[in-house]
Amino acid sequence: MYLIIFLFFQQNEFEWLLHKEVHAVLNQLNSILVECVRRFPMPFSSNEGPYKQEKFVLSGAPDQLKCVVSLSGDCISHADISFKVQRQQVVNYRTTVQNDNPWRLHQVQDAANHLHQALFHIDNIDEDYNFQSSEEVLHILGNILGCLQRGRTSLIVPRKRTIDDLMKSRNMKCLVPNIAEDLALSFYIQSHKLVFAIYQVSSVQGSMKFDALQAEASIPWLNEVLVLFTVALQLCQQLKDKVRNTIFPNISLI
Amino acid sequence: MSGGANLVIPVVLWGRTAPTHCVSCVYLSRDQRTLITGCYDGQICLWQVEPTTFKMIPRCMLVGHTAPILCLSKASVVLDNNYVVSSSETGEMCTWDLVDGKCRELVKLPYVHTSVQAYHMVGSDDARLFCNGYYAEILVMDPFSLEIVFTLSSRVNPDWISALHVLRPNKRKTTVCFAVVSDDVVLGLTTTGTVKMWTLSGNEPKATDPIYENESKQIRCLNALAMSCCSQNQRTVLIVTSKYWQIYDAGDFSVLCSVMSARGERWLSGHFLCPDRVLVWSDDGKGYMYKLPANSIADNKDFHTASVEDDSPFLYYILEVTSRKPVCCPPAMRFVESSSVGPLLIRADSEGSVLIWNVPEVDNQVLNEMRTSSNKMAKNLEPFMSTSLVEAWSAMKPPPVGILDQLKSEVKLTASIYLPQQGRLVVGREDGSIVIVPATQTVMLQLLHGSHQQYNDWPPHQILEGHAGRVNCLLYPHHVHRRYDKVHLVSGGVDFAVCLWDLYAGTLLHRFCVHAGEITQLLVPPNTCSVSTTLLISCRDTNVLKIRVLLSLCDNKKYLIEIFRI
Repeated sequence: MYLIIFLFFQQNEFEWLLHKEVHAVLNQLNSILVECVRRFPMPFSSNEGPYKQEKFVLSGAPDQLKCVVSLSGDCISHADISFKVQRQQVVNYRTTVQNDNPWRLHQVQDAANHLHQALFHIDNIDEDYNFQSSEEVLHILGNILGCLQRGRTSLIVPRKRTIDDLMKSRNMKCLVPNIAEDLALSFYIQSHKLVFAIYQVSSVQGSMKFDALQAEASIPWLNEVLVLFTVALQLCQQLKDKVRNTIFPNISLI
Repeated sequence: MSGGANLVIPVVLWGRTAPTHCVSCVYLSRDQRTLITGCYDGQICLWQVEPTTFKMIPRCMLVGHTAPILCLSKASVVLDNNYVVSSSETGEMCTWDLVDGKCRELVKLPYVHTSVQAYHMVGSDDARLFCNGYYAEILVMDPFSLEIVFTLSSRVNPDWISALHVLRPNKRKTTVCFAVVSDDVVLGLTTTGTVKMWTLSGNEPKATDPIYENESKQIRCLNALAMSCCSQNQRTVLIVTSKYWQIYDAGDFSVLCSVMSARGERWLSGHFLCPDRVLVWSDDGKGYMYKLPANSIADNKDFHTASVEDDSPFLYYILEVTSRKPVCCPPAMRFVESSSVGPLLIRADSEGSVLIWNVPEVDNQVLNEMRTSSNKMAKNLEPFMSTSLVEAWSAMKPPPVGILDQLKSEVKLTASIYLPQQGRLVVGREDGSIVIVPATQTVMLQLLHGSHQQYNDWPPHQILEGHAGRVNCLLYPHHVHRRYDKVHLVSGGVDFAVCLWDLYAGTLLHRFCVHAGEITQLLVPPNTCSVSTTLLISCRDTNVLKIRVLLSLCDNKKYLIEIFRI
């Protein structure tokens, strides 16, 4: 008798989880993600005004490298770069990125797009929809988790590229004036930081020598974006664990 | 299994129940003898198809991908070329031989494709793969070397391409998309609704500079899922998004007509059947056939006029299936333009089942009668063929012998490891128990038919109990390097615990429970590592992967020292 009551209770709780709790958590998740989208300083539909522009001074070795950038959305719309490179003697270089040919940070666009995909998955679930099984919920949560993980990773782990790729990259053509052929410049995002790096390849007595200079600046909105990504991931994972570990994992509700 | 001289032969053992196969994409080979289904777990199933009746049986399971299969495509335009290319959510791409199931080539790219289309370009000897996905370019790849041949980039509003279509304009009408062209044309649509057109002459330089679009136009269409051009007139374009499908005039990309999805359903994709008809399918696994209004048919005198109230897209057929268990995710569907029985719509779903509809050809007279009749109801059509892995398994006599059939329990197996030196197969299960069985006898029961299958005395087994939930991973460190003690077996479970076992005595030496998340992976650090008697443990603490180092298995100082967060 007790067992039957217990089972009945469990069954009801499971129905509550599928029919009420899942929707409630998805709503919560939706508002976190909408909040996250707002942190990106870029318009997501054409009627929302232009990109917000912010100025950053990147700091590295003070006497070797100076870099001031204007960041607007997923582009570096303007940059003033000056640095010293050790050759036979020290050589000074100066170059810029101009408004009409911005340097694109694909990581920001990728993160924003993955975020939109996650929102799109949530948006696809009608508010009064009754989930049929825990597998169905797990599948949807898996999709959302995938988007969030990819979005977060695209900011945290920059795509690895060879020096050759960097030198040939389309962004290198943004630089005015062009710089020496043995140098590669790169802007990328690593977590909440915008990093600027200069790589020099030289051949010393037949062996390849590789030097790097680096400067960085912390971008406040990136930090907020990452926090919201993590909060959303945790919430989603908690719900997934809850659904998966319910006592009747394979029950099908009609 | 490994024999002498480094020869390794992987062996997969099936049990009495069919494996789960939640299909994520489906493809029918060009000779219509093989159906390929890729699933969310990363396996690919090959089904042998009887080309006239479309009866099919699962023939082969291709294991290799570690993530959901997102796209499948033919590798060649040659009819009897039996290769297919698959691409997964982690950027892995494989070229498979459909005859023997071998993987001929594989790469892992930093780019993840969501769609791959094979197309025979002007000036190339065989098909090229046109890929789009989570990146702002279109990559054109060689299906056999899996190298990127060249890249199509955007000058204006570069963004992810959500749908693309490649076509060769007819000589007769060259009005496609603003320009007069005679080469191949790639139409791409970004997630934010910019249509782009690239023209390819066939002698693109190899992998140096990207090729930029010739034209670009903003339209009001976000997150498109599919785009296809009518192959006969090349003047109308079908664009499908989850909420509606629309017909556009390819000349200026203006909307001609638009149809919302049914309540509770979302469109997945669609295709032109002929210039005045389309087939569109939804995430509910149904196909909808529409007759287009006069303003959306290129050869009609009313083409491109404003849409009128009494002439809207007319739904005349619904391809659906009744009385089936609900599926837990949208089925994968594919339209096949021609086969021995006419055009087909194939659906494969989360239950590992395959359904095929014969897309009916309705002549205009019948259609007009349907239209003028009082109820205007669309006809329904059930699939002519239906099968599933479960059906195939139950048809098998005798059924396959499972690894642990002697235990007579239905507990699922969740991890396994083969120990060649001991000739043992170690299996972790969903209930937390670990079972050790002699490997050779188990494989023999499965693969060889003979009198030994009639014996009642099963090979003896040993059970280790220490976990309180699913066993996620098993590791035999001695296998990787001899510095580890050969009696040690390590297991990690959903219960946050790592257990250290004495393999020979069958005893639990220690149970580490200091993790704040389930253990997902156990690894041995490289040889050159300074702390050489450690183990790496990867666990998931509310989704943040952590690697912990478990110190010293040999000297009985068992404790954790370092924690890395990645």
